[in-house]
This record gives sequence, C-alpha cells and structure tokens, in this order.
Amino acid sequence: MSMRKSHAIAQLMLYVFIVLFLVISLFPFFWILVTSFKPEAEVMGAGAFRIIAENPTVQNYVTVIAERGMLMSIKNSFIVSGVCMLYVVAVASMSAYIISRFNFRGKALLMGLILSVSMFPQMIVVGPLFNMYYNLGILNSYWITLAYSTITLPSAVWIMVTHFKQVPLALEEAAKIDGCTIWGTLWRIIFPLAAPGVATTAIMTFIAAWNEYLLSYTMNIDYNYQTVPVRIGYLRTQFTIFWSEISAATIVVTIPTLIIVLIFQKQIVAGIVNGAVKE
Amino acid sequence: MIKRMTFKQFLFIIPLLVLIGVFALYPIVTSTMYGFFNYRTNNQQTNGFYLKHYFNANLFAENLKYVNYYLSADVQYFDEESAAAAAALMDQNTKYMDQYVDQGTNITISTETTSELEQYVADMQQQVAGWYSAAGEIEYSNQENLDIIMGDLGTSFIKSNFVGGANYQKLVTDSRFYAALQHTLVFTTISVVLEFILGMAMALILDKAIRGIGVIRTASLLPWAIPTAVSAMIWRYLYDGSYGIVAKLFADIGITSSQASMMLTSTGAMSAAIIADVWKTTPYMMLLLLAGLQTIDRGVYESAAIDGSGKVRTFFRITLPLMKSSIMVALLFRTLDAFRIYDLIALLTGGGPANSTETLSVYAYQIMFGQSNYGYGSAIVIGMFVCVAVIAVVFVKLLGADVVGNPESR
Repeated sequence: MSMRKSHAIAQLMLYVFIVLFLVISLFPFFWILVTSFKPEAEVMGAGAFRIIAENPTVQNYVTVIAERGMLMSIKNSFIVSGVCMLYVVAVASMSAYIISRFNFRGKALLMGLILSVSMFPQMIVVGPLFNMYYNLGILNSYWITLAYSTITLPSAVWIMVTHFKQVPLALEEAAKIDGCTIWGTLWRIIFPLAAPGVATTAIMTFIAAWNEYLLSYTMNIDYNYQTVPVRIGYLRTQFTIFWSEISAATIVVTIPTLIIVLIFQKQIVAGIVNGAVKE
Repeated sequence: MIKRMTFKQFLFIIPLLVLIGVFALYPIVTSTMYGFFNYRTNNQQTNGFYLKHYFNANLFAENLKYVNYYLSADVQYFDEESAAAAAALMDQNTKYMDQYVDQGTNITISTETTSELEQYVADMQQQVAGWYSAAGEIEYSNQENLDIIMGDLGTSFIKSNFVGGANYQKLVTDSRFYAALQHTLVFTTISVVLEFILGMAMALILDKAIRGIGVIRTASLLPWAIPTAVSAMIWRYLYDGSYGIVAKLFADIGITSSQASMMLTSTGAMSAAIIADVWKTTPYMMLLLLAGLQTIDRGVYESAAIDGSGKVRTFFRITLPLMKSSIMVALLFRTLDAFRIYDLIALLTGGGPANSTETLSVYAYQIMFGQSNYGYGSAIVIGMFVCVAVIAVVFVKLLGADVVGNPESR
C-alpha cells in the first residue's frame, strides 16, 4: 500500500515538473499575446499586469503590419531562406552522394573541414564578407542568401551523408545496369529513397536561415531588404519602445515558425538529433 | 563496394568546395590578414593593405591646386618680399601639379622622392605661416583654409599599415578583452550547465514514455525554433523595469531588490541573459539527450534492477556512462554555440550595463563595425577562434577521437 502511495507521489511529482516545464516554455508567448491586444496606455499604466485588456484592440496589429513593415520582412525572410534551402539541399545532396559512395584522397580532410566550419565563431566571416559584398555592390540585396551557406551547408552535408549511407547499394547497381547515369542515379534513385533525410535537411536549413541575425544585420540594413530578426530588432531602436506594438509584431512573426513547428516537428526532432548525435 | 572517384564524380563536389571556399575559407584567411594590419575603413590612409609606401598623386596635385588658389587670393596682403616668395612657391606647385596630375591614387615612388616631397610640404607650411605673421591681421584671409589643405597634403603619403603582431600584443594586454572573455565564459558555463541539468531531467521523464509526449515536444520546440532576435525582444519586455511581469515577479519574491534592478545591475543583466538562453535551448538539449537515452538497451536496466541497484545508483553507474558520447556531443555543440553568442546579448542588454554583459562577439563587432577598426576587431576574433579550438580539442580528447574526428563512424 505504501509502495503504491509513494509511487503515486513520484508520479504526481513528475506531472508537476512537466506542467511547470510547459508553463515556463509557453508563458512568454501567452504574455505577449495578452499584451498585443492591449492599448499602449494600458501596458504603461495600472493595467500593465492585467490578463484581460480593459479595452481590447487590434490596432497594434494594424500598425505593425501597415506601418512597420512586418509583412515585408516576412516576405524577405521567405525569399532568402527559401532560396537558401533549395541550393543547400541540392549542393549537399550532390556532395553527400559522392562522400557516401566513393573514396577519394582528402575525404577525411574535407569532412574535418566541414565540421570545423560548423564550429567556428561566425564573427570571423562577417568583416571580410561585408567588404566582399561592398566591393561587388551587392549589399542590401537577396544575394545574402549565398552567405548563409557558411552556417547551413556544413550541418546539411552531415545530415545528408548519414541518410544516404542508409540507402542500399544494390538499387544503384541495378540502375547502373539499366543504363542510368550517376546524375540520374542520384536524383531518381537515391534522392527519393532518402526523402526523410532530405526533408530534415531542408527544414533545418530553412529554420537556420530564417533565424540568422548577424550577417543580415550587417549586410542588409536597408529597410526594403530587412529580414524578420533584423526588422524586429529595429523596432526597439527606431521608435520609442511601444511594448504593445512589439508584442503584436512578435506574434505576427512567430506564426510562420509555429506553423513550421506544427507541421514538421518530426523532421525537426530528427534534424536536431542527426545533426549532433552519432548514429 | 566503395569505389574510387573519377573526374566526373569529382564534379559533384565542386559546388560544395566553391561555397565553402568563398564563404568560409576565404573570409577566415582574410580575417587573419586583417589582424596583421592597422586596417580602418574610416581613414583614407589605412583603408587598404599597404605593405610598402604609396603616394596618392591625384590627391597631391588636387591639393596643390587649392594651395595656389588660396595663396593667389591672399598674396595682395603680403609684403613685397613675401609676395615674391609666394609667387616662386606657386610656380613650383604648378610644376608638381603638372607632374603628378592624373597619375593614380596609389603609385609607388622612391623613398628619396617621398622624403623630398614631405620636406617640401613641411617647408611650405613654415613659409606660409611666416608670410601671414609678417602680414599681420587680415580681415578675410584664407589662412585657415590653407592650413587645412596643407595638412591634407600630408595624407597623400600612404605609410605601410602592416603592423605585424602589434594588434595581438595589444590584445594580450587589453583589459576589456579579458573582461569580455570572462563574461563569455560565465555566460557559457552557467547556461550550459543549467541547460544540461534541466534537459537531462526532462529527457529522463520523457523516456518513461508518458502520455502527452507530442504536446511537450511541440511546446518545447517553439522557443527553440523562433529567431533568437525575437526571443530577445520578448524577454526584454518581460524584464522591463516598469512593465515587465518577470522583473516584477522576481522583485516580489525578493530575488531582486527592485523591479528596475533586473536590467540595471551587472548580475541582474547577466542572469537575465542566462535565463533567456536556458529558456530557449533547454529543449534542444532535452531532445539530444532523449535520443541518447533511447539508444540504451532496456535489458541493461533490468539486469541492474535484478542485481539490486537503486535508481540513483543505476543512473550514475549505468545510464550516464552509456550516454557519455551523446552527452559530450551535446555539451560540445551547446558550449561552442553559447561561446559565440551575439544576437541575444546585442538585443537584450546591448552588452550593458557598463559593458558588464559584453561577450567576445559583441566586443569584436563593436570594434569592427562600430569603430570601423577591422584590424584590431579581427585580432579579437582570432583570439576567440583560438578559444573555440581549445574548447573543441578538450571535448574531443574527453570524447575519444572516434566520434567527431572520424566521419566514417558517424
């Protein structure tokens, strides 16, 4: 009886811990959602800590969308992250195919290099890349997407290699006998068979590019080319701090992430694990 | 079944090599080079890499033209002797103008010519000053303009801005660098340790496969998936000295002395950054450790239970050792990530108050882009790079070379 009782207490403690974890994880989002519907006077006044606004309003959303360029920054983020995702998946597939199927001199060196690139401080590339883009006259443009390869490509190659290794070689042999070129073998045999890995790589690349701040804050400061992280940062410095507006802006930019997390959570979890843990 | 590569197959990795080369290796090499120069983009004489002396002939000729223009306007006020000397000077200036006009912005001239021209400029400044003092008070004189222009003539001589190890010498004695290093280490150590403990606890709980694991995953992935810039803004609001609910909560339960002190004291601001980071990255740690836990054979636990091993003992004697490689990899990735933190600090505290949360990345960025001093900024970054290499090597040593060093085993 007492065994069962102590077991029940342990069980209860577990649930308390889980609930606490969930509350802490989600409370900040809940609170900015609450604030986003308050008029600024309430945020600054006695109603600062009230949960339900006295005079709820959607004015903050109208302002951040119409005047603060939040939708434009979401569009910019979609363009640079989408393009980044496409070319990184293509480039990583091609190299992962070769790395997982063939031996060549300097292979260990190449893999070591890719791993070290993923580890070094990004600050080291920012200065030279800024000067490179300045000299080419492509600061404040969508070309920044190519610079994102430093942060996205190494882990993409790692994840792809892991997945391509799991595709059985026998199928390729058959394809080769049927006269398929290596280009065809990669895209028509291996790529579809490694689809879960491809999806994981794509989504991880997209999130990494979407969240990138340092490079875009340095190289794309023009209002028309600001990405979401940069735009949200500017809300603080450009205007007097209106927390209700910032909250509304935060909710607006969190929606795409929320949708991605809801749809692709399996791939994201796989990506986190593949990116770091030994298979 | 693994074969040797042919040339056609080599073509497949060319895009990777090009991207890594242009966007990773080239910048690293360039940054290293910046570190050996006094390279500042806000100063004409240091806005480039000059191993030798150079001469900006165009600028020299241009400035001489202005010298003559101002002198010819003021020569009427000079006494006879001075006026004659001024005329002679202007003749000589014209000769030099003809010689150097449109010759280029950084041409190479001999050391003798350089010192000859520098002497000429120095003499000119002395002469001109003499004429004006002899002329006495002139109501609308160009003396000030002339001084500026003659000063500008000096900038036509570009000295080599190769400084060798001077930036690094400065770095090892720079107290702000050590302070930033200390902040970075404090931030990294505390947040990674907290994330590890909390992540481990959550992973152990989720490993028991209770209901609602899907909900917990989604809920915990959201903080991890949003941009750090966005989470920094959210926390900045929660910490606000007047309207922030978390700052109020901390003040009410007595953790901080007042609501405003959260962001105004150095301990408060550092804790604020650490809490925001722990909030955001514990899910990442949790998922990594959970994956590690799930690779452990359940039979091992049963044997341990049969041998009468208690839960705590089983955890320390069996679970932890079996998870060693996942733990080390998770810690390595998180440590390196936290060590290079930029966006969270930049947007949450801006490095303040009084630089007390300034990390190495924030300091380097401030020097490079705030002061346009790429030379010294790069030296700081290279210093960071060395720290990162040391951390990575220590982890790999602890981990055993097979996991990170050898791609075949992954």
